[in-house]
Amino acid sequence: MEFTEEQIQRYSRHIILSEVGGKGQKKLLSAKVFIVGAGGLGCPVGYYLTAAGVGTIGIIDNDTVELSNLQRQIAHSIHTLGIPKVESAKRTFEALNPDVRIVAIKDRITKENIIDLIKDYDIVVDGSDNFPTRYLVNDACVMLGKPLVSGAILRFEGQVTTILPGEGHCYRCLFEEPPPPGLVPSCQEAGVLGVLPGVVGALQATEVLKLILGKGEVLKNELLIYNALNTSFRKIKVKRNPHCPVCGDNPTIKELIDYSEGYCAIR
Amino acid sequence: MPSDKILIPEDIIREMIRHSREVYPEEACGILAGNADVVKGIYRMTNIEHSTVSYLMDSREQFRVMKDIREKGLEMIGIYHSHTFSEAYPSQKDINLAFYDVAYLIVSLATSEPVIKAYRILDQREVREMEILTARV
Repeated sequence: MEFTEEQIQRYSRHIILSEVGGKGQKKLLSAKVFIVGAGGLGCPVGYYLTAAGVGTIGIIDNDTVELSNLQRQIAHSIHTLGIPKVESAKRTFEALNPDVRIVAIKDRITKENIIDLIKDYDIVVDGSDNFPTRYLVNDACVMLGKPLVSGAILRFEGQVTTILPGEGHCYRCLFEEPPPPGLVPSCQEAGVLGVLPGVVGALQATEVLKLILGKGEVLKNELLIYNALNTSFRKIKVKRNPHCPVCGDNPTIKELIDYSEGYCAIR
Repeated sequence: MPSDKILIPEDIIREMIRHSREVYPEEACGILAGNADVVKGIYRMTNIEHSTVSYLMDSREQFRVMKDIREKGLEMIGIYHSHTFSEAYPSQKDINLAFYDVAYLIVSLATSEPVIKAYRILDQREVREMEILTARV
């Protein structure tokens, strides 16, 4: 693959970095990244990966754009109110960089469809807003051996971790089971500072770029906690648990679990 | 290098406080299990001294708990106890008897709102406060 004159200009600030170069930029252009959620986190992740020239971006979300989203979900606008978030995001990303192929999927991610959805992608990014999805995505990535960059936000606090199945911890090594419904509130219930997903999403996008380029250190066996009120970043050491039910030596979870059934029943 | 941070899920923080209040004015004591910097389980222990100013765990109970922790693939990463009338800082006795390379947590009930702090105690001498993170978002 040769760069066009336009691509050389577009990616010039990347190409002059010795850690990226023309070779790295070509890796980015041929990479495939799947983003779960086109909300607070999915928007900045997709936006920056599009700008960076990540060749194929799949994005799934089942919601439509609402006015209350616009305080933080930067890929949407007053012009896309009421239309599917993935469609709105696709328009925004395509306007930024026509090099990138955006695969927009308006659907709910389930234990039935997740394997087919992610299997052809190199890296998965979780920007979902609920625990059932977070555990489903973790388990599917562990089973397929896919790198996963997981992010979460609430109020003024965000977390990021990078899961490399077979090499480091997984989300269940950190928190074995989802909390019981109601214990941890959602952003809808508890609020979230609008800029917070921007910070956390940008960190997730950075992890993805490093994974594609094979440069630097990622948050393997670590959880990064960002507190926007204190302006503090803290890294917590995490360990792969040999007794982990999904990535341990004798896993007990061999099929995907849909926790959302229980969640809906209790609410 | 010993870590200067510990992540404790909120339900475990609440359980430490609940335990401390239940045995008040005696000191409560217990063990926190986990991996690396992350706490995953809590074990209430019996304070066989039944004292308002000190604690001693029952050694048989302690062995049973250690076995259970190992079987879960975890390690003892913290020891907590409560202070009934004093602040959340290790007493001289706490410092002298700090044999383990774990986080020492103290729940103080001396004020109307309970206060929890965590410390590393190096060489049974040097006390370093750790940061407690409670996040689960």
